[in-house]
Amino acid sequence: MTGRPEREIAALRAQLQGERGPRLWRSLEEIAESPAFARVLGAEFGGFALPEAGRRDVLRAMAASILLAGLPGCGKGPPDAVLPRVADPADDPPPDRPRQYATAVTFEGFARPVLATTYAGRPVKLEGNPDHPASRGATDAFTQAAVLELYDPDRSQSPTLLGKESGWDQAVQAMVTARRDWLRNGGEGVRLLVEPTTSPTFRRQIEALRQQLPQLRLHAFEPVGKERREAAARLAFGRPLALRYALEHAAVVVSLEDDLLGPGPAQVDHALGWSARRRGGHDAGAEAIRLHVAESTPTLTGAMADTRRIVPSARIPALVAVLAAALGRDGAPAAPELSADERGFVSSWASELRAHRGEALLAVGAHQPPEVQALALRVNAQLGQLGRTLLASEPVVWPGAEAAGTLQELVADMAAGRVQALVVLGANPAYTAPGDLDFTAALQKVPWRLHAGLHRDETAGFCHWHLPLAHPLESWSDARTVDGTATILQPTVRPLFGGRSVHEVVALLAGDPWARDREIVRATWRDRLDDDAWRAALRQGFVPGTAAAPVGDLAPSPAPIGLPPAGGDRGLEVVIRPDPSIWDGRFANCAWLQELPKPLTKLTWDNVLLVSPALAAERGLATGDVARITLGDRELRGPVWVQPGQAAHTVTAHLGYGRKRIGRVGQGIGYDAYAFRASTKPWLGTGAEIAATGDRHELATTQPHHRMDEYRPVRLVAPGKALEARPEEENQASLYPDWDYPEIAWAMVIDLDLCIGCNACVLACQAENNVPSVGKHEIGMGREMHWLRVDAYHDGDPLDPSFYFQPVPCMHCEKAPCEVGCPVNAAVHTPDGLNAQVYNRCVGTRTCSSYCPYKVRRFNWFEYAKPAEPIVAAHYNPEVTVRARGVMEKCTYCIQRIARARIDAALEDRPLKGSDVITACAAVCPTTAIRFGDRNDGASEVARAQKSPRHYGLLEELGVRPRTTYLARIADQGEKGEG
Amino acid sequence: MAAASPPRQRRIYRLPEGHEFRTVTEQVAAIPLHYPQRLRWWLGFIGSSLLLGLLIVSAAYLFSEGIGVWGNTIPVNWGIAISNTVWFIGIGHAGTFISALLLLTQQHWRNSLNRFAEAMTLLAATCAASYPLFHLGRPFFFYWVVPYPNTMALWPQFRSPLVWDFFAFATYITVSLIFWYIGLVPDLAAVRDRATRRLPQVLFGIFALGWRGSAVHWERWRRAYLLVAVVALPLVVSVHSGVSLLFAVGQIPGWHTTVFPPYFVLGAVFSGFAVVIMIAITLRHAFRLYDLVTRRHLELLGLWLLATGWMTAYGYLADAFMAWYSGDSFERGTLLDRLAGPFWPIYWGAVICNFVPLQALWFPRPRRSSFVLFVIAFLVTVGMWFERYMLVISGLFRDFLPSSWGGYVPTFWDWGIFFGLIGFFLFFFFLFVRFLPAVSMFEIKEAVWEEEHDT
Repeated sequence: MTGRPEREIAALRAQLQGERGPRLWRSLEEIAESPAFARVLGAEFGGFALPEAGRRDVLRAMAASILLAGLPGCGKGPPDAVLPRVADPADDPPPDRPRQYATAVTFEGFARPVLATTYAGRPVKLEGNPDHPASRGATDAFTQAAVLELYDPDRSQSPTLLGKESGWDQAVQAMVTARRDWLRNGGEGVRLLVEPTTSPTFRRQIEALRQQLPQLRLHAFEPVGKERREAAARLAFGRPLALRYALEHAAVVVSLEDDLLGPGPAQVDHALGWSARRRGGHDAGAEAIRLHVAESTPTLTGAMADTRRIVPSARIPALVAVLAAALGRDGAPAAPELSADERGFVSSWASELRAHRGEALLAVGAHQPPEVQALALRVNAQLGQLGRTLLASEPVVWPGAEAAGTLQELVADMAAGRVQALVVLGANPAYTAPGDLDFTAALQKVPWRLHAGLHRDETAGFCHWHLPLAHPLESWSDARTVDGTATILQPTVRPLFGGRSVHEVVALLAGDPWARDREIVRATWRDRLDDDAWRAALRQGFVPGTAAAPVGDLAPSPAPIGLPPAGGDRGLEVVIRPDPSIWDGRFANCAWLQELPKPLTKLTWDNVLLVSPALAAERGLATGDVARITLGDRELRGPVWVQPGQAAHTVTAHLGYGRKRIGRVGQGIGYDAYAFRASTKPWLGTGAEIAATGDRHELATTQPHHRMDEYRPVRLVAPGKALEARPEEENQASLYPDWDYPEIAWAMVIDLDLCIGCNACVLACQAENNVPSVGKHEIGMGREMHWLRVDAYHDGDPLDPSFYFQPVPCMHCEKAPCEVGCPVNAAVHTPDGLNAQVYNRCVGTRTCSSYCPYKVRRFNWFEYAKPAEPIVAAHYNPEVTVRARGVMEKCTYCIQRIARARIDAALEDRPLKGSDVITACAAVCPTTAIRFGDRNDGASEVARAQKSPRHYGLLEELGVRPRTTYLARIADQGEKGEG
Repeated sequence: MAAASPPRQRRIYRLPEGHEFRTVTEQVAAIPLHYPQRLRWWLGFIGSSLLLGLLIVSAAYLFSEGIGVWGNTIPVNWGIAISNTVWFIGIGHAGTFISALLLLTQQHWRNSLNRFAEAMTLLAATCAASYPLFHLGRPFFFYWVVPYPNTMALWPQFRSPLVWDFFAFATYITVSLIFWYIGLVPDLAAVRDRATRRLPQVLFGIFALGWRGSAVHWERWRRAYLLVAVVALPLVVSVHSGVSLLFAVGQIPGWHTTVFPPYFVLGAVFSGFAVVIMIAITLRHAFRLYDLVTRRHLELLGLWLLATGWMTAYGYLADAFMAWYSGDSFERGTLLDRLAGPFWPIYWGAVICNFVPLQALWFPRPRRSSFVLFVIAFLVTVGMWFERYMLVISGLFRDFLPSSWGGYVPTFWDWGIFFGLIGFFLFFFFLFVRFLPAVSMFEIKEAVWEEEHDT
């Protein structure tokens, strides 16, 4: 089809937008009569004429079929020139089989390399790219949710002018006009606000744009960015650097509020390294990685630490200074006074770090003042860790401080009236700017404002023009992982909602409205990649040899580093952190992430103020009480959550909630911590007060009880020791005969020593198995649908507890109580040992769930799976039944993958092997804590794990013989001792 | 059974001066033919119709929206729907117990109670049987629990106590209905013979099956009646044992115990007697049946209530003792939840309502007082409701893993179905007393005759 009718059809379809029922048919009639449609028909079927009689009906029917049925199908297939990932390029998979595309989605500008599985042109699941060194098949939870983000019907669907829907033609027109003014004075007064990115194409385009408009100024802003870490690198080494930890080479890590294993761009990287070292250590009897953490608010890193010390966040600089003085040779500031307790652990850490010179690491949180981080970097350099556990390379993220101004400067200029035009690309400063900047007031002084983003968000609401951006899964782009390796992002589907890629928008700014994102990206790589290499990179999912060049022979700058003045001791400190589930708020409209239980609290659909049990007792606060925090003239109201392990006088507030404009899912829930944030001290406020307001707020958590009582589901073992068998666990008699598994017996072993509670498995399971989200009210009632949950427990003194995670999928018991209870044979045992649930057969007596000792079964109390809008249903995995109201469901060990592997094996005429199948949770796990396979095969990982001295079954004394089992967590004190 | 050797017992029936067999029939048959208390009946009937309307609305809403309109959750995915099933079927036990067991043991004082007790059984069992249907996620497939030849070539899963319960309920309702109807036939004929209008004559005539009262009729009738009684008797034990196994088979602390079958059966008879007492007292006063349902009847019922109450109390003790004696931390945890945890108001509410006022029945005066007996019976009915609630919910809300503990609060629609079913019960009971002989005439006459000729 030529270009012109295509555009006419788009225009005609636009007329039908939003029409339903009889109105739709009337509109169709109008269209059928219109000259535009006649032109379309003429172009498609030249010389086509209809008799006058019945002509209207025929035309109307044709209009319906072309506009409603045929073309949306044509419009949404995979775009041209994308390359599926197949072993042999000639071996194109048949249309009923899924295709996988190696591409990436982005997070804070960094690439998350993935394989996108698409069915009939619809991406439904992202797997980590197993060939990519920064993934090895794993992803984090955010990456798993990108599919739902793609199909979010609340995404911006057309350009808007002053809030009213407009079209791309008008937007292009407006840009051309605006550019004419800009070119007149070289872009004086034109500002561009971007999020830091790793895309070489974006950088090339912006640099080209600055050639055209030399006076144009660039500003960069990332609300949870690493600019303090960059500043620290400049302080310590006198030049900008990308810094990365190589935990796989570390024997001792001391982390001072650096959430290495927590969510963030480097989570997968760190988890891969840490687990490789920890696992290798314990299993091979070598020295395992030891992790020491000091922090004010519990994190995943603290939960997995060998020792965890609770200190106020404001105390970290002093600890670093003392450590630096103890370890460093020069340039350390005068060590401040420490308490006896602090002196004790700091000196023991110092000696451990010294003893492991070259394979130790001192990590300080990226939110700490640059001077503090710089001190730590210098200590690492002095201990010879550069190039071993601390990798320095040329910067990966652009623009750094050299190339771009800050948000503060932009606001100052806007307020002073020096900005004539502002273009915001992707960022959402109207929401994320610190409250004391008053960004929106300054913004309104700018005469011409344009915003491009995925959603019509807060910033879009304050701009004249808003342009919808295409999702990374529907556009061409490029991006780099934390190590710098570049991935070409190829679209897996054409833009669903008429968005354009950010590259096309930048091209528009540069006066080239016709440029297509593929050509723009290809042009960037033309020099490096010839056509063959380009195709290979697309298939492979990354461009080999693009890792950032390491910077050798770095000399720590000898300049002394002074500590920033310590805050007053009076009052409370308020630490501000990104939300573990929706980060800085960018994922607020993703129901999967809103409903993803936060790792330690298991809270959903809200943010809270974390307070310690001591503070709660002191101020008469209880979980769910609404409290008011005052700090100077700033005030924050939010519900309290009493969090064991929190520093006594530290309150933690999370960013990302309180959104005013994003969509139906994320709008108007939680409190907005950005408004409370200070631009100079964005992460920590000292001297705050907290008081109850007397109000209560309903909080929805999936796990109301976190304390391990008498029964200990998570077992501990001292290093090198074996678990003591529980008394009743041997050979319980059963009335029913044992099952016989002549071929394969699937089993899963979960290593609790490696599980960091990151929730990637929960979301991978949700995406793979069409698990619906149910909303806050249903969660509050206890009706969450997650097939796999990660239980979080704490144990010991509530003021200083130990934390444990335990992923709990279905146990697939040998003697399954559910199978006995079901009256209609809907819960049945398969010949390969699964405990299957036949949805078609289920009548919903719920006996199986009543009998289940693990309560892993989930019931469709309502028609949960019905999507809010038809487009959302496109994310459903067609291999998995979408469950109707009134049936029970649960973990199936991804039976669709087993079935697929069995079919493939049969086609290839070979027996099915255990290694042919991996469940979604096991595939995504960044620490390889979840292992799945055939336990009949003695060489398989699960069979070996089942022989481990750390092996045990949850509630095995009940005699149900679970086939999902666990390896005990290793702790110095083992099972008996505590604390 | 007449002349053999009925055990000597105190005389229960003493027809006052001027009464003879004929007047017994007249008094009872007058109720359906010339209903005495029309205004009160209409008030009660309209009240129960409103409740029945609530049932229809609640059920319609439930079926259109899904089980989610109830308060059920994971882990408490069985709520008051299941506890009420247990409660209703328990109430349904006294009818068969009184009819069959006391018939076979020749306790002929039962003769003035059995008719309405059986009607109560039928209605309560119907309520109980309908609850699992409301409670199904996909109620339109309820028949998959039934073994029937089908194209899927699938049987029900016979290890499931739910399948046992289906058989138990179906058998129980069928047998109860047959037993009740067989017992009705001679009385239907008596009403037919006294009817003066055409419609009652025809209708009662049809259902009287041509009964003429010949010796052959009586001989065959008695054989059939005894035979069905023998069939019905084991059902008294089996139905509630089956219901209890629905819980005992699950490995849930607080459920997984062998004391459950007798514990449930005794509790069932206990609650059934309580409801029979309430109905007997109500009918006795409403229709002035003081000669047919005598103070001696009330006293005997009171004694039965006391006896079954103590047996039920033994069940409580045994259950609690075994939970403690097992040494199992989960069992003990559930026991503690009941005694002193979140369920203490329910547990102690059950203990107090069931057993404390009951002790008044050791003394003859309260036993003979209609009012006191009625209050005690009412409290027992409420107490047994608490007990069923406590047994079902407290087992589920905290089972094993602390991570999956949860709560349960019934919603309006939970209560809508419950009170709606009580409305269903009352609605049909009102129709029963209005249109059928609520007391067995011929059996009373038989008893009177026997007593007169025995002493």
